[in-house]
Amino acid sequence: MYNLVMKDLKLGVNPMFFLLPVILGALMLIPGWLYFIVILYFCWITVPGVFGQFKAHNDLMFTSLMPVTKKDIVKARVLVIVIMELLHIVMAMIFGMINIQLYSSLTPFFFGPHLGFWGLCFVMLAVFNVVFIPMYYKTAYKFGSAGIVSIAAAMLFAGVAQWIGIASPVVSDLFTGSGVQNTGLQILILAAGIVIFIALTMIAYRIAVKRFLKVEIL
Amino acid sequence: MLALDIRNLNKKYPNFELRDISFQLEKGYIMGFIGANGAGKTTTIKSMLNMIRIDSGEVRILGKNIAEHETELKQEIGLAFGGVDFYTRSKLKVMTGVIKKFYKNWDQDTYYKYLRRFKLDENKKIAELSAGMRVKYNLALALSHGAKLLILDEPTSGLDPAARDDLLDIFQELVVDGEISILFSTHITSDLEKCADYITFIDNGQIVASSEKNELLESYRLLNGSESQLNQVKDKMISYKVNSFGFTGLIRSSDFDSGSGIRAATPSLEEIMIYFARKEVMYV
Repeated sequence: MYNLVMKDLKLGVNPMFFLLPVILGALMLIPGWLYFIVILYFCWITVPGVFGQFKAHNDLMFTSLMPVTKKDIVKARVLVIVIMELLHIVMAMIFGMINIQLYSSLTPFFFGPHLGFWGLCFVMLAVFNVVFIPMYYKTAYKFGSAGIVSIAAAMLFAGVAQWIGIASPVVSDLFTGSGVQNTGLQILILAAGIVIFIALTMIAYRIAVKRFLKVEIL
Repeated sequence: MLALDIRNLNKKYPNFELRDISFQLEKGYIMGFIGANGAGKTTTIKSMLNMIRIDSGEVRILGKNIAEHETELKQEIGLAFGGVDFYTRSKLKVMTGVIKKFYKNWDQDTYYKYLRRFKLDENKKIAELSAGMRVKYNLALALSHGAKLLILDEPTSGLDPAARDDLLDIFQELVVDGEISILFSTHITSDLEKCADYITFIDNGQIVASSEKNELLESYRLLNGSESQLNQVKDKMISYKVNSFGFTGLIRSSDFDSGSGIRAATPSLEEIMIYFARKEVMYV
């Protein structure tokens, strides 16, 4: 399994996609922006880019020739997706910390880059994973429709979350108002987001394995 | 010991069907797997390797059932569908670096030995290799992880005569010790006449024959005669061609009465393939 992950990281994923989180993370320096977009760039750019490469390089056939189980093939790929997602989130979080230092006097209209917000970002990626991964493994090479549906789902989540964040005084207070100062609460929201991320990604992995076992390698 | 033991493999598609595919390959021999385009060679190979889900049947490789020991067996099988055509913009060095990690028995010295033997430059990109060199690179990889069975799908297609001949010589060298067995599919019958010990012939998803090469050739007769003679044997023939001088056609030796006075010769593999392919056209 480790070999499969290394195979993807060395051959499949273009080095550009390791640099991209840094560049995109810097978008966190835009004051008062809709910061969900920074993470959504992962879905918009990295996913089609990376999965397009896998398809173009006939990765499915290559991987199938290696002495590995189909289950491990899926596990490794899910892990690669998670690694890329973490890279994006962690870079964005780092720039988010700079953002807070720079613009402490601003009262943002949208969610500010506090810990609770990152919890929401984890949930957004969880929504993406739970749709994208099982849909992709119907064929294990077609990523178009899986990408469209999962990106739409992630954006819908972000849109609704942000709308509630503006419309509801309670939620607004939690993510942009006085709740921001409550570090314990913020960490709790982040932890909840991470738990949801892990749970939904595990579910996605299980469904994907079931589907991939039926895929014929042509 | 059998390197390969396929029994009653079945796989149904809407427009195509593999029916009761069975054949065996003794350890230490080369088996040619022949058939026309679309006869089911690649489908059979992929079914054997669990890449395609079979409807029924059993595949045993080196004495073990592939359904139960897939990863273990893949350590001992060298697989190639043509040449390497993955990540072709990568250098051989990088590709090998990734691949070797998957194999327990990887031997770097053997790898370098074959690189030298095949005149492969590790610093070249896969895209820069010719079709023949890509097949050789694939072989080098398979041999470096100590593969006991090589399953090669059309390794010689697209190669020039010199490269093909060279490759066939390599195949023969590999089986000399009796440790390595080779199954290779092709539609280039002259390759098999040069180096195969056994021939398995597939036609329209069914195995027509699987036997020792000369035995296979002897089991058919190529007839040549006048049109009046054709009527005597017409019903028993696999297929035939009529021309202004009479007819030429293929018949099973068991169906042919050598006292009939019709001229008969031993057919070549190519002739067997052609007349079987013609059979389908005649009855469609």
